[in-house]
Amino acid sequence: MSSDFYKTSILPFAGIIIKLCRAYTNSQEDFEDYYQEVCLQIWRSKENFKEESQWSTWVYRISLNVCLTLLKKKKNNVQHFVSDAVMDEETENNYAFSDEPLNLLYDAIRKLSEIDRAIIMLYLEEKSQKEIAEIIGTNGNNIGVRVKRIKTRLKKILDGKIN
Amino acid sequence: MEKSIENIWKEGFLKNDALVVPKINNLYDQKSIHIIDKFKRMFKINLIAIVFFAFAMLVVTTFNGLPIIGISWFLILIALVVINKKLTNSLKKMDYHKNSYEYLMSFNKWLQEQLAINRKMARLYYPLFFLSIVVGFWFVDAEGINLGERLIGEVLYGFPDIYLVNGVPLIGIALVLIIAGLLVLFGGRIYNLDVKIVYGRIFKKIEELITDLEELRN
Repeated sequence: MSSDFYKTSILPFAGIIIKLCRAYTNSQEDFEDYYQEVCLQIWRSKENFKEESQWSTWVYRISLNVCLTLLKKKKNNVQHFVSDAVMDEETENNYAFSDEPLNLLYDAIRKLSEIDRAIIMLYLEEKSQKEIAEIIGTNGNNIGVRVKRIKTRLKKILDGKIN
Repeated sequence: MEKSIENIWKEGFLKNDALVVPKINNLYDQKSIHIIDKFKRMFKINLIAIVFFAFAMLVVTTFNGLPIIGISWFLILIALVVINKKLTNSLKKMDYHKNSYEYLMSFNKWLQEQLAINRKMARLYYPLFFLSIVVGFWFVDAEGINLGERLIGEVLYGFPDIYLVNGVPLIGIALVLIIAGLLVLFGGRIYNLDVKIVYGRIFKKIEELITDLEELRN
């Protein structure tokens, strides 16, 4: 990957890539792998970009696809004896932000379904319903309702944890 | 007052550590090692499967009165496995601590040599497989006599003026030789097709990786 392409076409969107990758991983190591794979796939798919949508939408879509694919692969490979408790411990010890409420919010987001995670993050990134629908590849009609439902669920999970 | 999730999100990412961009490194090294390891695993499984198949063929054909086919296929397949096992020895010596491009290129060089040797062998073993089937069925017992002799008898009954060479119809010999000749001619291509079915995806990935790395080097 040329460093020019990385600087001009990926780095400006690194924020959302990082945020998405964080939502689908439980450790710093996985996060770095996901981030690198997303960057690589954006670079490799640049020739398929047809300018029918914005570059940012394309970047989000690729990022999401890569995260979901890697997550699926990992689920298939994961050894079932690794308990959730161990994963949670790993998350807390090695993979936390300095901002505690943000950590709690991320933990709550990770409890959502894979698509709901994407929707809520795009919503938090202030993407319009149309853009969210375009990125996740669904009909835009029910995005608003779905966001409301996800927020209610997040609030329930976070209830009492954040003041 | 309880913070909204929107505020938690915004405020959380205002802190310096929240959006540290990871370094892009070693990705190609990891990918090269991973893909070559995958090939090695597949290759090993393939060789084991051939050994199992060879034994299965031996047992099944022997119990069904076709031991010539079983023994021939067994010997050919085991020879194939032994040769390919020897070819993998040089692969083990390959140094994956080299940079990913050199590692991939030396693997690719090994792969092309290995494929070329196997292509040459395919031009020999496909006809041998075919001939062993012909000979195997020729000598199979058909109500007290060989199936081949019985067939000749029936052909001679229908075509009494047919030209024979050592008691075998020339047309039959010609047909077998033509098919064997075609297998010699196209054995390499059949092998390519066979390899493409099993390893096609992995070869494509290796090619893509080499192209990526070459683009990076330029």
